[in-house]
Amino acid sequence: MSGYDSALSIFSPDGHVFQVEYASEAVKRGTCAVGVKGKESVVLGCEKRTTLKLQDPRITPSKICKIDNHALLAFAGLNADARILVDKARVEAQSHRLTLEDAVSIEYLTKYVAGVQQKYTQSGGVRPFGIATIIAGFDSNDTVPRLYQTEPSGVYNAWKAHAIGRSSKTVREFLEKHYEEDLSDEQTIKLTIKSLLEVVQTGAKNIEVSVLKAGNVIQKLSVDEIKKYVDEIEAEKAAEAEKKKKPRD
Amino acid sequence: MNTIANKFTHANSSSVLNEINAVQSEFASGHQLELAPSIQVPPISQPTDFLRAHTDDASNPDCKIKIAHGTTTLAFRFKEGIVVAVDSRATAGNWIASQTVNKVIRINPFLLGTMAGGAADCQYWETWLGTQCRLHELREKERISVAAASKILGNLVYEYKGMGLSMGTMVCGYTKKEGPTIYYVDSDGTRLKGDIFCVGSGQTFAYGVLDSEYKWDLTVEEALYLGKRSILAATHRDAYSGGSINLYHVTETGWVYHGNHNVGDIFWDIKEKEQSFNNVDG
Amino acid sequence: MDIILGIKVQDGTIIATSKAATRGISVLKDSDDKTRVLNPHNLVAYTGESGDTVQFAEYVQANVQLYTMRENDIELSPKATASFVRNQLATSIRSRKPYQVNVLIAGYDTKTDTPTLNWIDYLGTQVELPYGAHGYAGFYATSLLDKHYRKDMKVEQGLELLQLCLKELETRMPIDFKGVYIKVVDKDGIKALN
Repeated sequence: MSGYDSALSIFSPDGHVFQVEYASEAVKRGTCAVGVKGKESVVLGCEKRTTLKLQDPRITPSKICKIDNHALLAFAGLNADARILVDKARVEAQSHRLTLEDAVSIEYLTKYVAGVQQKYTQSGGVRPFGIATIIAGFDSNDTVPRLYQTEPSGVYNAWKAHAIGRSSKTVREFLEKHYEEDLSDEQTIKLTIKSLLEVVQTGAKNIEVSVLKAGNVIQKLSVDEIKKYVDEIEAEKAAEAEKKKKPRD
Repeated sequence: MNTIANKFTHANSSSVLNEINAVQSEFASGHQLELAPSIQVPPISQPTDFLRAHTDDASNPDCKIKIAHGTTTLAFRFKEGIVVAVDSRATAGNWIASQTVNKVIRINPFLLGTMAGGAADCQYWETWLGTQCRLHELREKERISVAAASKILGNLVYEYKGMGLSMGTMVCGYTKKEGPTIYYVDSDGTRLKGDIFCVGSGQTFAYGVLDSEYKWDLTVEEALYLGKRSILAATHRDAYSGGSINLYHVTETGWVYHGNHNVGDIFWDIKEKEQSFNNVDG
Repeated sequence: MDIILGIKVQDGTIIATSKAATRGISVLKDSDDKTRVLNPHNLVAYTGESGDTVQFAEYVQANVQLYTMRENDIELSPKATASFVRNQLATSIRSRKPYQVNVLIAGYDTKTDTPTLNWIDYLGTQVELPYGAHGYAGFYATSLLDKHYRKDMKVEQGLELLQLCLKELETRMPIDFKGVYIKVVDKDGIKALN
């Protein structure tokens, strides 16, 4: 293993490109991001790091980025790398509108972002992007919700629900247990927040949520709206715990 | 080379020709590496002047390279889709090079492109457009829209603006999201969406008949006849149009070819049936 | 031979653009819209060399929209938009193949609640005007505007003045420009009339 991980251009004898795999490690250290598809909506949720005392939370950039009027991108990993990738995606979205006279489809956008990530795994003098992305939205004149994920290797997949970043394994297991098809908007938002709460212990002020619906509808939930859901979830949890206690009496 | 150079009295041309001679040797030495990507351009500083000197009949009737020109093409949208009609004559100066040119390129089963202006320019770039459309289909798993296809051609042609391309084309097709659509694209870089276009040296003659009889509610039969009759009108009056007429009808299930109609034959039939063309003795 | 006229009134800016698209001796289209929406409060009307006009206008449109995407949905102000467009044309004029495009940019600054009209030509000349035109239209309309324009006009009066100018153009211009599209840019955005 030693020696085969020092450069991007070296395969190990058993077929690993270690630099790309180490990039995934950087992703695992980033704050958690979740995406869930409902019947008519897609919800993105991100863990927000606790703001330090003198930090100004109003202007500090959000981790959910608008790529075009109908597409959002959330990421986990090296924030600075994300800024570059997001900008490339924005330019490509406008360029597509200019040459094809139509908005990008969510798959096209994902394929593009993944393509850029792949390019940086097969070039000289560069390192891979240390981020995984979740791309969500609706294609123009379409009502089918779309959710995709890309990785530092340039692989992309479509998901019904997915999580990336810190403790994403826990969140993914939670989603696998609780995901249902055709959830309503409310249920989808609730599931997103509930799954994030598994790893974000400190509650509403450390979560940000955006909801996408067909026809270029993007809604960022306010702290109060998120708190409402959190309170509802806590109340349900408490009720569950109560119910579990009773039979023992 | 010098004898040709001396024939041109136009002051600019000789300097251009001298440059060609000087550059020949440079070109043979091969590629240069470039920092920025660029399109392939002939090694001439004033391509337009060069082309005018060698190929433009109007400014130099004795030029040795005759580009094939002359056409009437038309396309119009109506209730039942699109009718596309073209002639088939190619002229090189005052010589009729061919009476059987195919001026409609079948880009895919739902897209047609017409050709007017320089025959080679149209043939080459519309075939190229066909490959770009196919690549789009393979990549996006979806047929390309008429807007995007026409924009690919329009943007390409704009890159070469000022370098002497001569093309007046219509990209016609049907897609579910756009319905039947026609885009006019020419070598200036103009791109216009519209319902009726006539392009070529005989366009005005075709407009005359087409504009006066056109209605949105034509039947397929009436529309095909109108397209044919408009081209016939143009072939009668425009010396650079003629040969035969090729007809197409574009519907929601794709285009349908409606045959090749020789002008020499149908002229007399139509003259008899309509009792028109009374300027011609029967 | 395209008509583009702009009049800035107290509560908005009015733009009129001719509908004819002519090539040689044929009018190819009588419903050609010679404007592009840059963002909800900025509209560019263009005239000039065919091919160059649309390419330039759509290039500006894509870049202005990219700015909004990058800056968290903040709209580029009318003054900044005009400066950007001017800069592009000023660079283009000394390039190998300059864009031969003249524009009028109608805008509404939502921060200061003021309408704007910027006149920019293919050389990169830029000036903010109460009313203006490109091409032959100005030869007939300008004197009428000089006489009848008042700073405190509202949109209705501005439209009446515009109709006066159009009537004169229809009377005296040697070619039929097939009527105009009229658009108004005000605090509520861009609206197309008639």
